[in-house]
Amino acid sequence: MEGQSYARMPRVKIRELRDDYARFELRDTDASIANALRRVMIAEVPTIAIDLVEIEVNSSVLNDEFIAHRLGLIPLTSDRAMSMRFSRDCDACDGDGQCEFCSVEFHLMAVCRNDETQDVTSSDLISSDHTVVPVDYSESAASIDASDGISGNKKGGITIVKLRKGQEVKLRAIARKGIGKDHAKWSPAATVTFMYEPEIHINEDLMESLTLEEKKEWVESSPTPVFEIDQVTQQVMVVDAEAYTYDDEVIKKAEAMGKPGLVEINAKQDSFIFTVETTGAIKASQLLLNAIEILKQKLDAVRLSEDTVEADDQFGELGAHMRGG
Amino acid sequence: MNAPDRYERFVVPEGTKKVSYERDTKIINAASFTIEREEHTIGNIIRMQLHRDENVLFAGYKLPHPLQYKIIVRIHTTSQSSPMQAYNQAINDLDRELDHLKNAFEAEMVKFSRDY
Repeated sequence: MEGQSYARMPRVKIRELRDDYARFELRDTDASIANALRRVMIAEVPTIAIDLVEIEVNSSVLNDEFIAHRLGLIPLTSDRAMSMRFSRDCDACDGDGQCEFCSVEFHLMAVCRNDETQDVTSSDLISSDHTVVPVDYSESAASIDASDGISGNKKGGITIVKLRKGQEVKLRAIARKGIGKDHAKWSPAATVTFMYEPEIHINEDLMESLTLEEKKEWVESSPTPVFEIDQVTQQVMVVDAEAYTYDDEVIKKAEAMGKPGLVEINAKQDSFIFTVETTGAIKASQLLLNAIEILKQKLDAVRLSEDTVEADDQFGELGAHMRGG
Repeated sequence: MNAPDRYERFVVPEGTKKVSYERDTKIINAASFTIEREEHTIGNIIRMQLHRDENVLFAGYKLPHPLQYKIIVRIHTTSQSSPMQAYNQAINDLDRELDHLKNAFEAEMVKFSRDY
């Protein structure tokens, strides 16, 4: 029954890899797989985010639901998310936040007793689980401070609310596992994009029929720096093919100059360049691996069930019988 | 007020089958698969994988309505195969491709951390 396999063997090459950023090439597959991976990374890889807030005291300037919404949007470290349960599937609890399988409890207590304004930030959140804590951006913030000279708040963390003297916030929050399809706060992706790899061929003979002035004019017609003129040989070269945005400007320019076919640009249909940036909830490399895992689980879920196959087998026999088989 | 719950988009209601299969009444070796609570992510990869199968004469999917959380995959094959066989094989092949991709990426990560 098993026919021949039509499976492909894609290749991957990593160009750049940091905790929250990855850039890689994906080859020998098609746009459907590339797009499925992108969609799953954005909307279906689970993370943990605050989902339920019980406010005990709030005398700050922001109303309760405003604070609850801001708490929900704080990225939490979610390496545990893949092995956690969704609270709707959890039969060990009733989703009250005391269950170790599906939820994590947070407490926030802040009172301002000084004359200066006090910032309440994500680092003031006290977690019941040391593996699930607000993402610490102090390291990346420090590098930005050094390069730009912009000073963030000294404590680090994401500002939730500011308090003046005498104001107080006291609350309990429950974080749960979820996916971006449910609410964007659960999306681990800041950006996930892919582009077709461009293939650029310059018609050298035609190019040599241009004067240096014309070459310069043509090179400058590209809104992004794709081409350059070699200082020594005065030949036009491709310096950064991937800077090309498929804008067709250079092709139009060539036609306007009366030199159609000066350059030929094709999008390779089986090569993609991915850029993945995460919120810090999980590592960029882990995001891709989790996306592959989720996609595999989804495929497994859409396999035909035994009883469907059986019902059809009987139908098939009936059909064959009716056709006189 | 009367907005449907957000989870309606991805939780299959109790008593509903994830995948149901319906033969075409007029054309032999043609059938429709209705997949509950799935969308373009699954629909498009299955369609494109089916197109690689030379016994598949037609493969397409549709999302009938944005508020009906299901897709319909329609397959028509030659007599050498059947829609069910083609469907199962497409899923197996995709599964194998993703397995390979996972291994390839993990190997590349090891190589990358060593080289740079």
